[in-house]
Amino acid sequence: MNVIEINHLTKTYGKARGITDISFTVEQGEIFGFIGPNGAGKSTTIRTLLSLIYPTSGNAKIFGKDCIKYAPEIKKDIGYLPSEVFYYDNMKVIDLLKYSASFYKKDCSKRMKELAEIMDLDLNKKIDDLSLGNKKKVGIVQALLHEPKLIILDEPTSGLDPLMQQKFFELLEEENRKGATILYSSHILSEVQRLCDRVAIIKEGKIIKIEKISALHENNYKKFKMETTSKVEKSFFQINGVTNLKVEDNTVSFLFKGNLNDILKKISQIEITNIWVDEPDLEEIFMHYYEKEA
Amino acid sequence: MNMFWYELKAYRKSTIIWTLSLVALIAFFLSMFPSISKDAEEFKKLIEGYPASVRKAIGLNVENVFSILGFYSYSFLYITLCGAIQAMNLGVSIFSKEIREKTADFLFAKPVTRTNIMTAKLLAALTSLAITNVVYLAAANIIASQVKTEEYSNKTFFMISITLFFIQIIFLSLGMIMSVMIRKIRSVLTVSLGTVFALFIVGMLSSTADDNVLRYFSPFKYFDTAYIIKHSSYELRFLILGMGIIIVSIAASYFIYTKKDIHAF
Repeated sequence: MNVIEINHLTKTYGKARGITDISFTVEQGEIFGFIGPNGAGKSTTIRTLLSLIYPTSGNAKIFGKDCIKYAPEIKKDIGYLPSEVFYYDNMKVIDLLKYSASFYKKDCSKRMKELAEIMDLDLNKKIDDLSLGNKKKVGIVQALLHEPKLIILDEPTSGLDPLMQQKFFELLEEENRKGATILYSSHILSEVQRLCDRVAIIKEGKIIKIEKISALHENNYKKFKMETTSKVEKSFFQINGVTNLKVEDNTVSFLFKGNLNDILKKISQIEITNIWVDEPDLEEIFMHYYEKEA
Repeated sequence: MNMFWYELKAYRKSTIIWTLSLVALIAFFLSMFPSISKDAEEFKKLIEGYPASVRKAIGLNVENVFSILGFYSYSFLYITLCGAIQAMNLGVSIFSKEIREKTADFLFAKPVTRTNIMTAKLLAALTSLAITNVVYLAAANIIASQVKTEEYSNKTFFMISITLFFIQIIFLSLGMIMSVMIRKIRSVLTVSLGTVFALFIVGMLSSTADDNVLRYFSPFKYFDTAYIIKHSSYELRFLILGMGIIIVSIAASYFIYTKKDIHAF
Protein backbone atom coordinates (compact mmCIF):
# COMPACT_ATOMS: atom_id res chain seq x y z
CA MET A 1 0.00 0.00 0.00
CA ASN A 2 1.16 3.50 -0.75
CA VAL A 3 1.20 5.81 2.23
CA ILE A 4 2.18 8.82 0.17
CA GLU A 5 1.34 9.16 -3.48
CA ILE A 6 2.40 12.34 -5.23
CA ASN A 7 1.13 12.91 -8.77
CA HIS A 8 2.60 15.60 -10.98
CA LEU A 9 2.71 18.08 -8.16
CA THR A 10 3.61 21.60 -9.22
CA LYS A 11 3.83 24.69 -7.09
CA THR A 12 5.01 27.98 -8.45
CA TYR A 13 5.44 31.10 -6.46
CA GLY A 14 7.80 33.98 -6.66
CA LYS A 15 10.36 33.68 -9.40
CA ALA A 16 12.91 31.00 -8.74
CA ARG A 17 11.41 28.86 -6.04
CA GLY A 18 8.82 26.14 -6.32
CA ILE A 19 8.53 22.58 -7.57
CA THR A 20 7.75 21.24 -11.01
CA ASP A 21 5.89 18.04 -11.84
CA ILE A 22 6.96 16.00 -8.86
CA SER A 23 5.77 12.42 -8.67
CA PHE A 24 6.79 9.66 -6.31
CA THR A 25 5.28 7.19 -3.91
CA VAL A 26 6.24 6.10 -0.45
CA GLU A 27 5.18 2.60 0.52
CA GLN A 28 3.91 1.45 3.86
CA GLY A 29 6.70 0.70 6.30
CA GLU A 30 9.36 2.42 4.27
CA ILE A 31 11.92 4.96 5.37
CA PHE A 32 12.04 7.19 2.34
CA GLY A 33 14.82 9.70 1.93
CA PHE A 34 14.20 13.00 0.24
CA ILE A 35 17.43 14.58 -0.58
CA GLY A 36 18.76 17.62 -2.34
CA PRO A 37 20.62 20.84 -1.71
CA ASN A 38 19.05 23.68 0.25
CA GLY A 39 16.33 25.43 -1.71
CA ALA A 40 15.73 22.52 -4.07
CA GLY A 41 12.06 22.22 -3.12
CA LYS A 42 12.07 19.66 -0.31
CA SER A 43 10.22 21.86 2.14
CA THR A 44 7.81 23.05 -0.54
CA THR A 45 6.85 19.45 -1.29
CA ILE A 46 6.43 18.62 2.38
CA ARG A 47 4.41 21.75 3.09
CA THR A 48 2.08 20.84 0.26
CA LEU A 49 1.61 17.36 1.69
CA LEU A 50 0.56 18.99 4.95
CA SER A 51 -1.69 21.47 3.12
CA LEU A 52 0.24 24.39 4.54
CA ILE A 53 0.49 25.54 0.95
CA TYR A 54 -1.76 24.63 -1.93
CA PRO A 55 -0.48 23.09 -5.16
CA THR A 56 -0.67 25.03 -8.42
CA SER A 57 -1.44 21.76 -10.20
CA GLY A 58 -1.25 18.05 -9.55
CA ASN A 59 -2.23 16.37 -6.33
CA ALA A 60 -1.01 14.21 -3.51
CA LYS A 61 -2.63 11.45 -1.54
CA ILE A 62 -1.82 10.33 1.95
CA PHE A 63 -3.27 7.04 3.21
CA GLY A 64 -5.11 7.02 -0.13
CA LYS A 65 -6.91 10.29 0.57
CA ASP A 66 -6.41 13.66 -1.05
CA CYS A 67 -4.08 15.64 1.18
CA ILE A 68 -5.96 18.91 0.81
CA LYS A 69 -9.53 17.71 0.95
CA TYR A 70 -9.10 15.34 3.86
CA ALA A 71 -6.36 17.30 5.60
CA PRO A 72 -7.72 17.30 9.17
CA GLU A 73 -8.56 13.62 9.00
CA ILE A 74 -5.21 12.40 7.71
CA LYS A 75 -3.27 14.67 10.03
CA LYS A 76 -4.47 12.60 12.97
CA ASP A 77 -1.93 10.01 11.91
CA ILE A 78 0.88 12.30 10.85
CA GLY A 79 3.73 13.50 12.99
CA TYR A 80 5.58 16.46 11.54
CA LEU A 81 8.84 18.04 12.54
CA PRO A 82 9.34 21.38 10.77
CA SER A 83 12.83 22.42 9.74
CA GLU A 84 12.72 25.50 11.91
CA VAL A 85 11.28 25.05 15.35
CA PHE A 86 10.24 28.08 17.35
CA TYR A 87 7.48 26.97 19.61
CA TYR A 88 5.54 29.48 21.66
CA ASP A 89 8.42 30.89 23.64
CA ASN A 90 6.45 31.79 26.68
CA MET A 91 5.65 28.21 27.62
CA LYS A 92 7.21 25.41 29.54
CA VAL A 93 8.17 22.34 27.54
CA ILE A 94 5.60 20.22 29.34
CA ASP A 95 2.81 22.71 28.63
CA LEU A 96 3.63 22.83 24.96
CA LEU A 97 3.72 19.03 24.72
CA LYS A 98 0.42 18.76 26.57
CA TYR A 99 -1.07 21.34 24.22
CA SER A 100 0.22 19.35 21.28
CA ALA A 101 -1.20 16.13 22.72
CA SER A 102 -4.60 17.75 23.29
CA PHE A 103 -5.15 17.78 19.53
CA TYR A 104 -5.21 14.00 19.38
CA LYS A 105 -8.02 12.10 20.92
CA LYS A 106 -5.92 9.70 22.91
CA ASP A 107 -3.80 9.66 26.01
CA CYS A 108 -0.28 10.53 25.00
CA SER A 109 1.23 11.26 28.41
CA LYS A 110 3.02 7.94 28.77
CA ARG A 111 4.64 8.06 25.37
CA MET A 112 5.52 11.71 25.95
CA LYS A 113 7.44 10.87 29.12
CA GLU A 114 9.21 7.97 27.42
CA LEU A 115 10.29 10.11 24.52
CA ALA A 116 11.49 12.90 26.77
CA GLU A 117 13.50 10.33 28.68
CA ILE A 118 15.08 8.92 25.51
CA MET A 119 15.87 12.35 24.13
CA ASP A 120 17.10 13.56 27.50
CA LEU A 121 14.77 16.55 27.53
CA ASP A 122 13.99 18.56 30.66
CA LEU A 123 10.22 19.02 30.66
CA ASN A 124 10.13 21.80 33.20
CA LYS A 125 12.30 24.31 31.37
CA LYS A 126 10.89 27.28 29.53
CA ILE A 127 11.14 26.90 25.79
CA ASP A 128 12.63 30.36 25.67
CA ASP A 129 15.66 29.20 27.63
CA LEU A 130 16.41 26.20 25.43
CA SER A 131 19.29 25.91 23.01
CA LEU A 132 18.60 25.21 19.37
CA GLY A 133 19.35 21.52 19.86
CA ASN A 134 16.99 21.27 22.78
CA LYS A 135 14.26 23.09 20.88
CA LYS A 136 14.74 20.50 18.16
CA LYS A 137 14.23 17.78 20.77
CA VAL A 138 10.96 19.40 21.79
CA GLY A 139 9.99 19.26 18.13
CA ILE A 140 10.90 15.60 17.89
CA VAL A 141 8.91 14.62 20.98
CA GLN A 142 6.02 16.75 19.74
CA ALA A 143 6.07 14.96 16.39
CA LEU A 144 6.16 11.46 17.85
CA LEU A 145 4.06 11.59 21.00
CA HIS A 146 0.80 10.52 19.38
CA GLU A 147 2.44 7.50 17.75
CA PRO A 148 1.71 8.58 14.19
CA LYS A 149 1.55 6.16 11.28
CA LEU A 150 3.41 8.58 9.05
CA ILE A 151 6.34 10.63 10.29
CA ILE A 152 7.45 13.57 8.18
CA LEU A 153 10.79 15.06 9.10
CA ASP A 154 12.21 18.18 7.52
CA GLU A 155 15.94 18.52 8.17
CA PRO A 156 15.56 16.90 11.57
CA THR A 157 19.15 16.69 12.74
CA SER A 158 20.27 20.32 12.53
CA GLY A 159 21.35 21.40 15.97
CA LEU A 160 21.52 17.89 17.43
CA ASP A 161 24.90 16.68 18.64
CA PRO A 162 26.18 13.38 17.18
CA LEU A 163 25.24 11.38 20.26
CA MET A 164 21.68 12.70 20.15
CA GLN A 165 21.51 12.09 16.42
CA GLN A 166 22.40 8.48 17.10
CA LYS A 167 19.62 8.18 19.69
CA PHE A 168 17.23 9.89 17.34
CA PHE A 169 18.04 7.48 14.50
CA GLU A 170 17.52 4.53 16.83
CA LEU A 171 14.21 6.01 17.85
CA LEU A 172 13.16 6.35 14.23
CA GLU A 173 14.21 2.80 13.46
CA GLU A 174 12.17 1.58 16.38
CA GLU A 175 9.11 3.54 15.23
CA ASN A 176 9.66 2.08 11.79
CA ARG A 177 9.78 -1.45 13.20
CA LYS A 178 6.48 -0.77 14.93
CA GLY A 179 5.01 0.05 11.54
CA ALA A 180 5.49 3.75 10.99
CA THR A 181 6.33 5.03 7.55
CA ILE A 182 8.91 7.81 7.47
CA LEU A 183 9.58 10.57 4.99
CA TYR A 184 12.99 11.93 5.79
CA SER A 185 14.13 15.11 4.13
CA SER A 186 17.75 16.11 4.40
CA HIS A 187 20.70 17.56 2.57
CA ILE A 188 23.11 15.38 4.51
CA LEU A 189 23.75 12.23 2.55
CA SER A 190 25.30 10.09 5.23
CA GLU A 191 22.09 10.35 7.29
CA VAL A 192 19.96 9.20 4.42
CA GLN A 193 22.43 6.48 3.60
CA ARG A 194 22.31 5.27 7.18
CA LEU A 195 18.51 5.23 7.56
CA CYS A 196 16.63 5.01 4.32
CA ASP A 197 15.46 2.24 2.05
CA ARG A 198 14.81 4.39 -0.97
CA VAL A 199 15.67 7.90 -1.87
CA ALA A 200 14.35 10.59 -4.17
CA ILE A 201 16.87 13.14 -5.34
CA ILE A 202 15.49 16.60 -5.97
CA LYS A 203 17.25 19.42 -7.70
CA GLU A 204 15.91 22.84 -8.64
CA GLY A 205 12.34 21.74 -8.02
CA LYS A 206 12.53 18.55 -10.07
CA ILE A 207 13.01 14.93 -9.11
CA ILE A 208 16.07 13.73 -10.96
CA LYS A 209 16.26 10.20 -9.62
CA ILE A 210 14.40 7.76 -7.42
CA GLU A 211 16.47 4.82 -6.42
CA LYS A 212 17.02 2.19 -3.79
CA ILE A 213 19.92 3.03 -1.55
CA SER A 214 21.30 -0.42 -2.19
CA ALA A 215 20.97 0.06 -5.94
CA LEU A 216 22.87 3.30 -5.72
CA HIS A 217 25.73 1.41 -4.17
CA GLU A 218 25.42 -1.52 -6.52
CA ASN A 219 25.44 0.74 -9.49
CA ASN A 220 28.87 -0.64 -10.07
CA TYR A 221 30.64 2.60 -9.47
CA LYS A 222 34.23 2.16 -8.43
CA LYS A 223 36.44 4.85 -7.11
CA PHE A 224 39.94 4.65 -8.52
CA LYS A 225 42.91 6.47 -7.19
CA MET A 226 46.50 5.84 -8.24
CA GLU A 227 49.93 7.28 -8.04
CA THR A 228 51.99 7.23 -11.17
CA THR A 229 55.69 7.52 -11.83
CA SER A 230 55.22 10.41 -14.23
CA LYS A 231 52.43 12.85 -14.88
CA VAL A 232 49.67 11.41 -17.02
CA GLU A 233 47.78 13.42 -19.60
CA LYS A 234 44.19 13.98 -18.56
CA SER A 235 42.96 12.92 -21.98
CA PHE A 236 44.43 9.47 -21.43
CA PHE A 237 41.61 8.50 -19.06
CA GLN A 238 38.84 10.29 -20.86
CA ILE A 239 37.02 7.18 -21.97
CA ASN A 240 33.43 6.05 -21.61
CA GLY A 241 32.37 5.47 -18.00
CA VAL A 242 34.94 7.72 -16.37
CA THR A 243 33.68 10.67 -14.38
CA ASN A 244 34.98 13.07 -11.75
CA LEU A 245 38.42 12.76 -13.31
CA LYS A 246 41.12 14.59 -11.42
CA VAL A 247 44.81 14.69 -12.27
CA GLU A 248 47.14 16.34 -9.81
CA ASP A 249 50.86 15.96 -10.19
CA ASN A 250 51.36 12.22 -10.04
CA THR A 251 47.96 11.38 -8.62
CA VAL A 252 44.98 10.39 -10.71
CA SER A 253 41.48 9.79 -9.35
CA PHE A 254 38.11 9.15 -10.97
CA LEU A 255 34.84 7.25 -10.68
CA PHE A 256 34.26 4.44 -13.10
CA LYS A 257 31.12 2.65 -14.15
CA GLY A 258 31.28 -0.05 -16.81
CA ASN A 259 33.34 -3.07 -17.74
CA LEU A 260 36.20 -3.22 -15.28
CA ASN A 261 38.44 -5.01 -17.76
CA ASP A 262 38.44 -2.01 -20.04
CA ILE A 263 39.68 0.30 -17.35
CA LEU A 264 42.23 -2.20 -16.07
CA LYS A 265 43.68 -2.58 -19.56
CA LYS A 266 43.96 1.17 -19.72
CA ILE A 267 45.71 1.33 -16.37
CA SER A 268 48.12 -1.41 -17.37
CA GLN A 269 49.47 0.86 -20.09
CA ILE A 270 50.95 3.28 -17.59
CA GLU A 271 53.48 2.90 -14.80
CA ILE A 272 51.84 3.13 -11.39
CA THR A 273 53.39 3.03 -7.94
CA ASN A 274 50.21 2.59 -5.92
CA ILE A 275 46.49 2.02 -6.48
CA TRP A 276 43.29 2.19 -4.41
CA VAL A 277 39.96 0.87 -5.61
CA ASP A 278 37.00 1.75 -3.37
CA GLU A 279 33.24 1.80 -3.26
CA PRO A 280 32.28 5.44 -3.66
CA ASP A 281 30.06 6.88 -0.94
CA LEU A 282 26.70 8.34 -1.83
CA GLU A 283 27.97 11.85 -1.72
CA GLU A 284 30.28 11.20 -4.61
CA ILE A 285 27.55 9.49 -6.58
CA PHE A 286 25.23 12.40 -6.00
CA MET A 287 27.79 14.96 -6.96
CA HIS A 288 28.07 12.98 -10.10
CA TYR A 289 24.29 13.24 -10.69
CA TYR A 290 24.32 16.91 -10.10
CA GLU A 291 27.23 17.57 -12.34
CA LYS A 292 25.75 15.54 -15.15
CA GLU A 293 22.53 17.49 -14.89
CA ALA A 294 24.18 20.87 -14.72
CA MET B 1 -11.90 23.99 22.70
CA ASN B 2 -8.25 23.34 23.54
CA MET B 3 -7.18 26.07 21.11
CA PHE B 4 -9.73 28.52 22.55
CA TRP B 5 -8.43 28.03 26.08
CA TYR B 6 -4.87 28.18 24.95
CA GLU B 7 -5.42 31.44 23.12
CA LEU B 8 -7.40 32.94 25.97
CA LYS B 9 -4.60 32.08 28.34
CA ALA B 10 -2.14 33.70 25.97
CA TYR B 11 -4.22 36.89 26.09
CA ARG B 12 -4.50 36.84 29.87
CA LYS B 13 -1.75 39.31 30.59
CA SER B 14 -2.79 41.81 27.92
CA THR B 15 -6.45 41.55 28.94
CA ILE B 16 -5.61 42.36 32.55
CA ILE B 17 -3.31 45.25 31.63
CA TRP B 18 -5.76 46.83 29.20
CA THR B 19 -8.70 46.41 31.54
CA LEU B 20 -6.85 48.01 34.43
CA SER B 21 -5.66 50.83 32.18
CA LEU B 22 -9.16 51.62 31.01
CA VAL B 23 -10.47 51.57 34.57
CA ALA B 24 -7.62 53.80 35.73
CA LEU B 25 -8.23 56.20 32.86
CA ILE B 26 -11.95 56.58 33.53
CA ALA B 27 -11.27 56.89 37.26
CA PHE B 28 -8.79 59.67 36.51
CA PHE B 29 -11.27 61.54 34.32
CA LEU B 30 -14.30 61.12 36.54
CA SER B 31 -12.37 62.07 39.69
CA MET B 32 -12.00 65.53 38.18
CA PHE B 33 -15.73 65.87 37.71
CA PRO B 34 -16.71 67.11 41.20
CA SER B 35 -14.29 70.03 41.11
CA ILE B 36 -15.13 70.89 37.52
CA SER B 37 -18.86 70.90 38.13
CA LYS B 38 -18.39 72.97 41.28
CA ASP B 39 -16.63 75.70 39.39
CA ALA B 40 -18.70 75.23 36.26
CA GLU B 41 -18.95 78.93 35.44
CA GLU B 42 -15.20 79.49 35.63
CA PHE B 43 -14.51 76.46 33.47
CA LYS B 44 -17.13 77.50 30.99
CA LYS B 45 -15.31 80.78 30.46
CA LEU B 46 -12.01 78.95 30.17
CA ILE B 47 -13.38 76.49 27.64
CA GLU B 48 -15.05 79.21 25.62
CA GLY B 49 -11.62 80.77 25.31
CA TYR B 50 -10.63 77.90 23.03
CA PRO B 51 -11.54 78.15 19.37
CA ALA B 52 -14.75 76.30 18.57
CA SER B 53 -12.98 73.94 16.19
CA VAL B 54 -10.53 72.80 18.87
CA ARG B 55 -13.38 72.21 21.30
CA LYS B 56 -15.13 70.07 18.77
CA ALA B 57 -12.00 68.16 17.87
CA ILE B 58 -11.28 67.10 21.44
CA GLY B 59 -14.95 66.40 22.09
CA LEU B 60 -15.70 69.23 24.51
CA ASN B 61 -19.30 70.33 24.39
CA VAL B 62 -19.89 73.49 26.42
CA GLU B 63 -23.60 72.78 26.69
CA ASN B 64 -23.45 69.49 28.50
CA VAL B 65 -19.91 68.92 29.74
CA PHE B 66 -20.99 69.96 33.25
CA SER B 67 -23.54 67.20 33.56
CA ILE B 68 -22.20 63.82 34.58
CA LEU B 69 -23.32 62.17 31.33
CA GLY B 70 -21.87 64.99 29.27
CA PHE B 71 -18.58 64.85 31.10
CA TYR B 72 -18.57 61.07 30.83
CA SER B 73 -19.13 61.34 27.08
CA TYR B 74 -16.15 63.66 26.80
CA SER B 75 -13.93 61.23 28.72
CA PHE B 76 -15.36 58.29 26.83
CA LEU B 77 -13.83 59.46 23.57
CA TYR B 78 -10.40 58.65 25.02
CA ILE B 79 -11.62 55.38 26.47
CA THR B 80 -12.69 54.30 23.00
CA LEU B 81 -9.31 55.36 21.64
CA CYS B 82 -7.53 53.03 24.08
CA GLY B 83 -10.11 50.32 23.61
CA ALA B 84 -9.63 50.51 19.86
CA ILE B 85 -5.90 49.97 20.24
CA GLN B 86 -6.48 46.95 22.45
CA ALA B 87 -8.91 45.43 19.95
CA MET B 88 -6.80 46.21 16.93
CA ASN B 89 -3.76 44.61 18.59
CA LEU B 90 -5.76 41.47 19.18
CA GLY B 91 -7.06 41.41 15.64
CA VAL B 92 -3.73 42.03 13.97
CA SER B 93 -1.96 39.39 16.02
CA ILE B 94 -4.57 36.69 15.42
CA PHE B 95 -2.82 35.48 12.34
CA SER B 96 0.47 37.38 12.17
CA LYS B 97 1.61 36.04 15.53
CA GLU B 98 1.72 32.50 14.18
CA ILE B 99 3.78 33.57 11.20
CA ARG B 100 6.14 35.80 13.14
CA GLU B 101 6.86 33.29 15.84
CA LYS B 102 6.98 30.48 13.29
CA THR B 103 4.42 28.51 15.22
CA ALA B 104 2.12 28.19 12.21
CA ASP B 105 3.81 24.97 11.18
CA PHE B 106 3.00 23.52 14.57
CA LEU B 107 -0.66 24.44 14.56
CA PHE B 108 -1.42 23.75 10.93
CA ALA B 109 0.02 20.25 11.05
CA LYS B 110 -2.52 19.33 13.71
CA PRO B 111 -5.74 17.52 12.81
CA VAL B 112 -7.90 20.64 12.71
CA THR B 113 -9.27 22.74 9.88
CA ARG B 114 -8.21 26.30 9.34
CA THR B 115 -11.76 27.36 10.09
CA ASN B 116 -11.45 25.65 13.49
CA ILE B 117 -8.26 27.56 14.18
CA MET B 118 -9.68 30.90 13.10
CA THR B 119 -12.89 30.42 15.08
CA ALA B 120 -11.02 29.49 18.25
CA LYS B 121 -8.79 32.52 17.92
CA LEU B 122 -11.65 34.87 17.13
CA LEU B 123 -13.75 33.63 20.04
CA ALA B 124 -10.80 33.96 22.41
CA ALA B 125 -10.23 37.55 21.27
CA LEU B 126 -13.92 38.36 21.66
CA THR B 127 -13.93 36.82 25.13
CA SER B 128 -10.94 38.91 26.10
CA LEU B 129 -12.75 42.06 24.93
CA ALA B 130 -15.95 41.03 26.66
CA ILE B 131 -14.09 40.61 29.95
CA THR B 132 -12.55 44.05 29.55
CA ASN B 133 -15.97 45.55 28.86
CA VAL B 134 -17.74 43.91 31.78
CA VAL B 135 -15.07 45.01 34.23
CA TYR B 136 -14.87 48.47 32.72
CA LEU B 137 -18.64 48.93 32.78
CA ALA B 138 -18.91 47.88 36.41
CA ALA B 139 -16.03 50.10 37.46
CA ALA B 140 -17.25 53.13 35.48
CA ASN B 141 -20.72 52.72 36.90
CA ILE B 142 -19.47 52.61 40.47
CA ILE B 143 -17.16 55.57 40.01
CA ALA B 144 -19.82 57.65 38.23
CA SER B 145 -22.35 57.03 40.99
CA GLN B 146 -19.75 58.20 43.52
CA VAL B 147 -18.89 61.47 41.80
CA LYS B 148 -22.32 62.43 40.45
CA THR B 149 -23.81 65.75 41.48
CA GLU B 150 -27.29 64.99 40.20
CA GLU B 151 -29.26 61.92 39.18
CA TYR B 152 -28.61 60.55 35.73
CA SER B 153 -30.16 57.90 33.50
CA ASN B 154 -28.53 54.53 34.08
CA LYS B 155 -29.88 53.37 30.77
CA THR B 156 -28.16 56.17 28.86
CA PHE B 157 -24.96 55.58 30.78
CA PHE B 158 -25.10 51.92 29.80
CA MET B 159 -25.94 52.74 26.20
CA ILE B 160 -22.92 55.00 25.90
CA SER B 161 -20.57 52.60 27.65
CA ILE B 162 -21.54 49.55 25.61
CA THR B 163 -20.55 51.31 22.38
CA LEU B 164 -16.99 50.63 23.55
CA PHE B 165 -17.57 46.93 22.88
CA PHE B 166 -19.09 47.66 19.52
CA ILE B 167 -16.22 49.93 18.45
CA GLN B 168 -13.75 47.34 19.69
CA ILE B 169 -15.33 44.61 17.59
CA ILE B 170 -15.11 46.85 14.54
CA PHE B 171 -11.39 47.36 15.17
CA LEU B 172 -10.88 43.68 15.94
CA SER B 173 -12.36 42.75 12.58
CA LEU B 174 -10.33 45.42 10.79
CA GLY B 175 -7.19 44.10 12.47
CA MET B 176 -8.08 40.57 11.44
CA ILE B 177 -8.51 41.37 7.78
CA MET B 178 -5.20 43.26 7.76
CA SER B 179 -3.52 40.38 9.50
CA VAL B 180 -4.51 37.88 6.81
CA MET B 181 -3.85 40.23 3.91
CA ILE B 182 -0.42 41.54 4.78
CA ARG B 183 2.20 38.89 4.12
CA LYS B 184 4.32 39.50 7.13
CA ILE B 185 3.68 41.95 9.93
CA ARG B 186 6.87 42.61 11.82
CA SER B 187 5.40 44.82 14.50
CA VAL B 188 1.78 44.54 15.53
CA LEU B 189 1.91 47.82 17.42
CA THR B 190 3.05 49.84 14.42
CA VAL B 191 0.18 48.60 12.30
CA SER B 192 -2.49 48.92 14.95
CA LEU B 193 -1.40 52.26 16.39
CA GLY B 194 -1.07 53.66 12.88
CA THR B 195 -4.54 52.59 11.83
CA VAL B 196 -6.25 53.56 15.08
CA PHE B 197 -4.70 57.02 15.23
CA ALA B 198 -5.34 57.67 11.57
CA LEU B 199 -9.03 56.85 12.04
CA PHE B 200 -9.13 58.83 15.26
CA ILE B 201 -7.77 61.89 13.49
CA VAL B 202 -10.31 61.41 10.69
CA GLY B 203 -12.93 61.43 13.43
CA MET B 204 -11.55 64.64 14.92
CA LEU B 205 -11.56 66.28 11.49
CA SER B 206 -15.13 65.21 10.85
CA SER B 207 -16.23 66.79 14.16
CA THR B 208 -14.33 69.98 13.51
CA ALA B 209 -15.72 70.42 10.04
CA ASP B 210 -19.12 69.00 10.88
CA ASP B 211 -18.45 66.84 7.89
CA ASN B 212 -21.09 64.18 7.61
CA VAL B 213 -19.33 62.29 4.85
CA LEU B 214 -16.05 62.05 6.75
CA ARG B 215 -17.96 60.67 9.68
CA TYR B 216 -18.58 57.42 7.81
CA PHE B 217 -14.84 56.79 7.66
CA SER B 218 -14.17 56.87 11.39
CA PRO B 219 -15.72 54.17 13.56
CA PHE B 220 -15.07 56.49 16.52
CA LYS B 221 -17.87 58.69 15.24
CA TYR B 222 -20.44 55.99 14.58
CA PHE B 223 -21.95 56.50 18.01
CA ASP B 224 -22.61 60.15 18.70
CA THR B 225 -22.91 60.38 22.48
CA ALA B 226 -24.86 63.65 22.26
CA TYR B 227 -27.41 61.85 20.07
CA ILE B 228 -27.59 58.93 22.51
CA ILE B 229 -28.14 61.28 25.46
CA LYS B 230 -30.84 63.16 23.58
CA HIS B 231 -32.73 60.28 21.99
CA SER B 232 -31.80 57.30 24.14
CA SER B 233 -31.14 55.38 20.95
CA TYR B 234 -28.43 54.82 18.35
CA GLU B 235 -28.37 56.15 14.83
CA LEU B 236 -29.58 53.19 12.83
CA ARG B 237 -27.55 54.07 9.75
CA PHE B 238 -24.27 53.87 11.63
CA LEU B 239 -25.31 50.81 13.56
CA ILE B 240 -25.90 49.02 10.27
CA LEU B 241 -22.67 50.37 8.79
CA GLY B 242 -20.71 49.12 11.81
CA MET B 243 -22.29 45.69 11.61
CA GLY B 244 -21.61 45.62 7.88
CA ILE B 245 -17.91 46.33 8.40
CA ILE B 246 -17.68 43.60 11.02
CA ILE B 247 -19.46 40.96 8.96
CA VAL B 248 -17.62 41.72 5.73
CA SER B 249 -14.19 41.86 7.39
CA ILE B 250 -14.65 38.67 9.32
CA ALA B 251 -16.15 36.77 6.39
CA ALA B 252 -13.36 37.97 4.09
CA SER B 253 -10.74 37.03 6.70
CA TYR B 254 -12.09 33.49 6.88
CA PHE B 255 -12.21 33.24 3.13
CA ILE B 256 -8.63 34.45 2.61
CA TYR B 257 -7.32 32.49 5.55
CA THR B 258 -8.57 29.16 4.30
CA LYS B 259 -7.08 29.75 0.84
CA LYS B 260 -3.78 31.21 1.88
CA ASP B 261 -0.37 29.57 1.57
CA ILE B 262 1.48 29.36 4.86
CA HIS B 263 5.04 30.14 3.89
CA ALA B 264 8.17 29.24 5.73
CA PHE B 265 10.45 32.14 6.27
